[in-house]
Amino acid sequence: MNRLNDRSNSIGEFVPAPDDNLIICRCEEITKGEIRQAVHDGMYEITEIRRYLRVGMGLCQGQTCGKLVKGIVAKELGVSPSDLESATARSPMRPVEMKIFGNEERGSHG
Amino acid sequence: MERYDLVVVGAGPAGLSAAIEAAKCGMHPIVFDENAKPGGQLFKQIHKFFGSKEHKAKIRGFKIGEELLAEAQSLGVKVELDSIVMGLFPNKEITVKKGDAIRHYKGDAILIATGASENVVPFPGWTLPGVIGAGAAQTMVNLHRVQPGRKILMLGTGNVGLVVSFQLLQAGCDVVALVDAAPRVGGYGVHAAKVARCGVPLYLSHTIVKVEGTDCVTGVVIAEVGTDWKTIPGSEKHFDVDTICLAVGLSPMSQLAQMAGCRMVNDSRKGGTVPVCDKYGETSEKGIFVAGDVSGIEEASSAMIEGRIAGISAAYAQGFLEQEKLEAQLAEQEAALESLRQGMFAPQNRRKTPTETEEGITVSTNLLKHGFVADNEIERFPGVTHTSGIHPVIECTQNIPCNPCQDVCPKGCIRVGEHITALPVVDNEVPCIGCGMCVAACSGQAIFLVNEDDGHGHATVTLPYEFLPLPEKGETGTALSRKGDLLCEAEVVGVKTSKAFDHTNLLTIKVPADMAYKARFYKRQLPIPCGTKAGE
Repeated sequence: MNRLNDRSNSIGEFVPAPDDNLIICRCEEITKGEIRQAVHDGMYEITEIRRYLRVGMGLCQGQTCGKLVKGIVAKELGVSPSDLESATARSPMRPVEMKIFGNEERGSHG
Repeated sequence: MERYDLVVVGAGPAGLSAAIEAAKCGMHPIVFDENAKPGGQLFKQIHKFFGSKEHKAKIRGFKIGEELLAEAQSLGVKVELDSIVMGLFPNKEITVKKGDAIRHYKGDAILIATGASENVVPFPGWTLPGVIGAGAAQTMVNLHRVQPGRKILMLGTGNVGLVVSFQLLQAGCDVVALVDAAPRVGGYGVHAAKVARCGVPLYLSHTIVKVEGTDCVTGVVIAEVGTDWKTIPGSEKHFDVDTICLAVGLSPMSQLAQMAGCRMVNDSRKGGTVPVCDKYGETSEKGIFVAGDVSGIEEASSAMIEGRIAGISAAYAQGFLEQEKLEAQLAEQEAALESLRQGMFAPQNRRKTPTETEEGITVSTNLLKHGFVADNEIERFPGVTHTSGIHPVIECTQNIPCNPCQDVCPKGCIRVGEHITALPVVDNEVPCIGCGMCVAACSGQAIFLVNEDDGHGHATVTLPYEFLPLPEKGETGTALSRKGDLLCEAEVVGVKTSKAFDHTNLLTIKVPADMAYKARFYKRQLPIPCGTKAGE
């Protein structure tokens, strides 16, 4: 993990590719090129990429694109996808309207 | 907040099985599922399952689901549907969204049995309406009885791709091709053979270059891939299609386990990020169990056993089961699981390509490359024999854990033996009575009854037939080869339907004697009256 986090390691210049306009995260409409560029902007971790681009933060919460994003980032960094830590799983698992959170039962914490 | 002995997340095969075992031990489990109906993916599995009796072999998936549900209900298991488990928090507390309300529950033990989701693969046009998951297509045809499209291309030749392709054909869709970037068919050969003999071509070492269309899918271009996984220029093929189904693997939905702090591991053989668990299904977090696809992609039969193991273990951990009983019950379940995890497709053998069967027979390369066993390959398998009179011909050529053919034969003509993955052997010393039980029982639809010569230069072939409308006795159509090529004229001389066959009809066709070992399917060639659509 240390090697991954070492931002002084050169990963080379961003080289445009013919499939850069391919949409990867369809919920947030983020392309492959944007994800690759984000890595070159210094976002080496999935969590960073998520915060930077909002990939995997839409309706499906990364259920569709999670593996794809990992693959693209890993390739750009020259590592194996399994070297990358998954995005942090958080509640709620599914999109929930704010008004429903307002209905949350009371006095149940503890 | 409500408290339960055991909270199960997911009412699929693993979750229901766990709840059943826990309830048998005296626990009061509650099962949550986000769907409107319980059963997970079981209720859309209309095909017969593999395995042995203890694995519910030759029973259709949805029937197994019905049995599980009935058993759970009879034991008083509470199943809450349309209930989304939003989070799993410290001290095994969960929040559940149902309707407009969020409720809190606490489980003394928790079982995560959330299953998996379908993978996708991006290519130009993959976001067009008409590109769908194979599982979604299966839900549409088998649960909602809606065709996802008229002309369909399937990407992926694992069991999901093969099984769903066949079911799309059964639903009256036109499957124009199966495509896989891998050089070999990924799923069971018998599943591939069912699709191939219907005339669907398989393109291995091929991938989708692009999907065409502006508002929806109107066509697709595929091309051959080289050993460097790049497409070979000039190898492009075009198909007019309105639907692309993606059957490119599953990913465990393991986020709840991660949220709960369970130690996770990224294991590509298990399909992605999964919680680490011991043989009891318990994760690194005491009292949190996992079972089924969420702990590693397998199939429903093993998910049910994993669920039972987790249910039993949870009962023991909470003091509902004595250690002696725990060990006896676990030993039984582990043996059942072990026997399923055998053969060429066992988890430990994934990505290996055996060149020989366990018996030392050279495998059919044509089956792996094109989805059907070639005429010059079929004779070397022990289920394919020659004798006078009617006899079974078993085109089962891969070692998979399955043996219903042996169990159903009332005469004992068919032998698999103790080792459940062994290829079935036909013993011609024992006369076949032509009852057809083996033809109907074979989950792979790989058994045929053949009478090589009726004395007048003709042969009869009895084949499993699961399409509607049923051909009628006396009609004439066309016999198809294993590849699905039109072979010769065929007269339907028998149509047998029986409750014991469980919706697998037995069609007997008469063909020239030299076609006895070539004719393996029948195509109706009746004129369709004007103004009606196929399937009406």
